[in-house]
Amino acid sequence: METVNVTLRINNELTTLQVKPNETLLETLRERLDLTGAKASCGMGSCGACTVEVNGMPLRSCIALTVEMDGAEINTVEGLKEEEKLHPLQESFMEEGAVQCGFCTSGMIMTAKHFWIETLRPPRRDHQGALFQCLPVHRL
Amino acid sequence: MILPDFEYRKAETVADAIGLYNEFAGNVRYLAGGTDLMPLLKHRLSTPAVVIDLKGILDLSTITAQDGWLTIGANVTLFALKQNQTIRDYFPVFYQSLEATACETLQMRGTIGGNLLQDTRCIEYNKSNDWRVARGFCLKMGGKTCNVVPGARVCLSNYCSDNALALISLSATVKVIGPGGERAMAIEEIFSGKGSKPFALEPGEILTHIRIPMEKSKGAYEKLRVRKSIDYPLVAVAACLKEDNARICVGGIGPAPRVYDLKGLGTDRVVDASRSTYADAKAVSNTTLSPEYRKRMAGVLFRRAVNKALKEEK
Repeated sequence: METVNVTLRINNELTTLQVKPNETLLETLRERLDLTGAKASCGMGSCGACTVEVNGMPLRSCIALTVEMDGAEINTVEGLKEEEKLHPLQESFMEEGAVQCGFCTSGMIMTAKHFWIETLRPPRRDHQGALFQCLPVHRL
Repeated sequence: MILPDFEYRKAETVADAIGLYNEFAGNVRYLAGGTDLMPLLKHRLSTPAVVIDLKGILDLSTITAQDGWLTIGANVTLFALKQNQTIRDYFPVFYQSLEATACETLQMRGTIGGNLLQDTRCIEYNKSNDWRVARGFCLKMGGKTCNVVPGARVCLSNYCSDNALALISLSATVKVIGPGGERAMAIEEIFSGKGSKPFALEPGEILTHIRIPMEKSKGAYEKLRVRKSIDYPLVAVAACLKEDNARICVGGIGPAPRVYDLKGLGTDRVVDASRSTYADAKAVSNTTLSPEYRKRMAGVLFRRAVNKALKEEK
């Protein structure tokens, strides 16, 4: 299988990679770049644990190909903090204890970032489409 | 789950995409948002040699209102359609069906063309390869039996697009371009009615535009699902009212949506029509809810949708 050159701006750093066409963005982030914040869970785009931000929009990286992303600007949960200061969302997740095992939390935060901060809309649980049943959702 | 091996090509124009289709002798799949295709590939339900990305075709990414028609390019995402003021003002049923499709993160990715041409679904079909090998292949996978209804001769998988129902109730038309040229048809004509091959499109054809007549309408969309945040419809009804007439579309049961045209909207007429949905709905136990419940809910949602649309009118 031939490989393709892809240039991505990940957390404000330009990276050029040689990827196979059938590699998902999630695999690239986790296995090549060691950005393991986005988690591999259902793998079908249902649960949202793999959510990262691409060009300002949340995206389920398990069903997106890396080759489609050429030239895109990607932010992961690792890039949220500024210097040593956590993002306000991360702070409030910690303060409220909105974490049980924490596996899905990074996807939750990346989804929440768009809906709560960027669009300034009130959070609606049925909107968010994040499916995490174990979590103390009422604390979110 | 790991994707199978394939090559990736990006098309810049529709002609480009068809050229690539011919170059690889049809062993290709078109990729738009990928929210339907990627899970199919991961499950090995489709194993193309080449995936042709259509997202780069800019001609298909616009919404234009002209000559009494709203023309929507197939690459427009569901999220972008939801932001469109004309759709909010003129086609409430379409707005509601967009809102009801999956969740917002997937709406940002999924395109309207891909949503219309999504494959039909079945609890015995959308499974991993290992699971299906162990169970035995069904009609839709090229096997000889149906795994849901023993002895069935045709595939009874469900077509689960929300927006197709709304667009049918709005009398929309679609334009497709393929190796054999270009054609336009009413949207309900793209369905073959066969679960194993749900679309009556020629090989290699690409859905390029959807056109909706620009008439103000009243409408409502009602959908039954288990999880409010994401699921496909288990049965859904789109109702579009224009003056005293209504066009109502019932979907989520069987491989093609069913259309009801009502003249006059008296209570008796609506109740009668809603009763016939019970007999018409050929539900089988291929979803998470029982077929009997879904059949009954078809009539309930039918009345609910019409009443909601009527209320809006006052």
